Amino acid sequence: MPEEGLLGRIYKDDEIIVKEGMQSRTMYVVQSGKVKIVKSDGDKEIILAVLNEGDIFGEMSLFDASPRSATVKAIGEARVLAIEHECLLKRITMDPTLAFRIIKQMSQRIRNLNSKLSTAMKTITQVNNKLLQLNSENVTFRDRETKSSHVIDNIAQIQKELHKCNELFIQNESL
Amino acid sequence: MKSAKNSSLKNGARVAIIGGGPAGSFFGIFASKLAKDLGRRLDITIYERKTFVNQGAAGCNMCAGVVSESLVQLLALEGINLPSSVVQSSIESYYFHTQNGNVQIKSSRLQQRGIATIYRGGGPKGSIEKGIQSFDDFLLHKAVECGAKVEHVIVDEIRMEGDKPVLYSRGKMLQDCDLLVGASGVKASTGEMYEKLGTGYKAPSTIKAMQSEIELGNNWISSQFAHSIHIFLLHIPGIKFVSIIPKGDFITISILGKEPDAGYTKVFLNHPEMRKMLPPGFKIPEKFCHCFPKINVGAARKPFAHRLVFVGDASSARLYKDGIGSSYITSKAAAHTALLYGIGEEDFKEHYLPACETLNRDNLFGQFLFHVNDLISTISLLSRGYFKIIQQEQKNLQKDAHYSDILWDMFTGSRFYKNIFIRALSPWPIIRSLLASSTSYLRKVFFSHQ
Repeated sequence: MPEEGLLGRIYKDDEIIVKEGMQSRTMYVVQSGKVKIVKSDGDKEIILAVLNEGDIFGEMSLFDASPRSATVKAIGEARVLAIEHECLLKRITMDPTLAFRIIKQMSQRIRNLNSKLSTAMKTITQVNNKLLQLNSENVTFRDRETKSSHVIDNIAQIQKELHKCNELFIQNESL
Repeated sequence: MKSAKNSSLKNGARVAIIGGGPAGSFFGIFASKLAKDLGRRLDITIYERKTFVNQGAAGCNMCAGVVSESLVQLLALEGINLPSSVVQSSIESYYFHTQNGNVQIKSSRLQQRGIATIYRGGGPKGSIEKGIQSFDDFLLHKAVECGAKVEHVIVDEIRMEGDKPVLYSRGKMLQDCDLLVGASGVKASTGEMYEKLGTGYKAPSTIKAMQSEIELGNNWISSQFAHSIHIFLLHIPGIKFVSIIPKGDFITISILGKEPDAGYTKVFLNHPEMRKMLPPGFKIPEKFCHCFPKINVGAARKPFAHRLVFVGDASSARLYKDGIGSSYITSKAAAHTALLYGIGEEDFKEHYLPACETLNRDNLFGQFLFHVNDLISTISLLSRGYFKIIQQEQKNLQKDAHYSDILWDMFTGSRFYKNIFIRALSPWPIIRSLLASSTSYLRKVFFSHQ
């Protein structure tokens, strides 16, 4: 691909485009490649979403002026176009329909989050019910040990399902 | 002609667009998208004589071919991302060549290649470069993806039959329509055709510019013009300013001046400042692809009527800059008026005309700014001071880039002229400019006595 005609800025694999906690109001559109939205949890990195060509990110800071809520990194080489916030806000006051696509994407994200929340709530209820059931049964220590290991197996199974579910979201959803 | 206020485009309505350039395609795209959101289906036909794939004038819509920073961003938000086959060069800076020296200007706002240079057709005549996709062809395909049809037919007559416009080609009826969209630019023949309808429409006033395509080879262009548009303000007689726009193997030389002719390109290419940027031993070719496009410099009168609306250059356009951006603004406003409010004269007057008036009013500020710029460049004391400030600002863009941003916005078309005008009136930069001019004057006096 000739470099002359590439708009935006090119980021290398794992390069940070947006850093969590930073104060910035620029919004971005992925022009080519993929980027991931991540939250750091100690040493671990939790992937919240993977965005593809044409997807928008950074729109929350555009409207609420709060620090960045997550970090965005390139997956492989990614090309990203920055959208200048002052110009965009002025254009939106002239033509409110410009915000439609941003609102549509935000609505899609809320739907996906609701779906994830619902799955997580189901898992918590299942675990809670199992623990209550275990507590209400008058069992010997040995029995309790056996039951506990059964519960742990169940939790591990649920965790696996959750993990699969999360991966499926990341692979399939086009946020 | 009667008005039909509050009669918007209904499900199955027929829309005929004359002209498949950016204005026509934008109308097709935005009308189709909004109709879909409203749960309606429109029957849209775009009439365009050209195919935009042929080389030279036959496939070209003749313009300098720059998509402004703000339009690149707006299109990306609309889901229209320009591919590298369309973008001939991505621009990150402007390089000004003046009598006081040269200065490269970058925007202090975004550090990226955000301006696109494009071809409006299949490239210059004789080009052997492969994989060029015309911007107009790309947009027309987007309109087709959204549901519009394209007919490569010349519309040479329009009649109002009953309540509806009817289109003809060489005496043969093409179709009637619920709404006719005039998007055929500033061609004299189509302007006359519309004026004959007797709706009060008068085509905009125009001036002639000149575009020439000169082949220098990709390697040379990459090394000399890389990712920069070069503006020459050199006081060459008859020439207001010259822009050089890099595009693959070619540079587009765009000349704005009084009655430009083919000789202007040769005069400019022989100027010592330009000679420095040409390959050693470069000879001006006997024949090169060139054209004299008309530029809209005055708004059309009454760009709407009952079931009729004009968009793009046929209506209002920004002065000297961002013609494609003006097409985006007018086409979107017209499409939304037709679908949300109505297709009567009163509907367009109430909801579409304000968008045109915003551009027209803004051009008054633009005229003033370009006059001031001309004045500064002719008074050497002022231009030296101004030049020095910009040089200093470019050394540390994050600290202060007031004048650089003004110049950037004026020549890139990234901001409305009114916005630039208000910033230019800020008192401290004016004081700073006067101080710089005075210092420059004192230095000159001091050194002249040494």
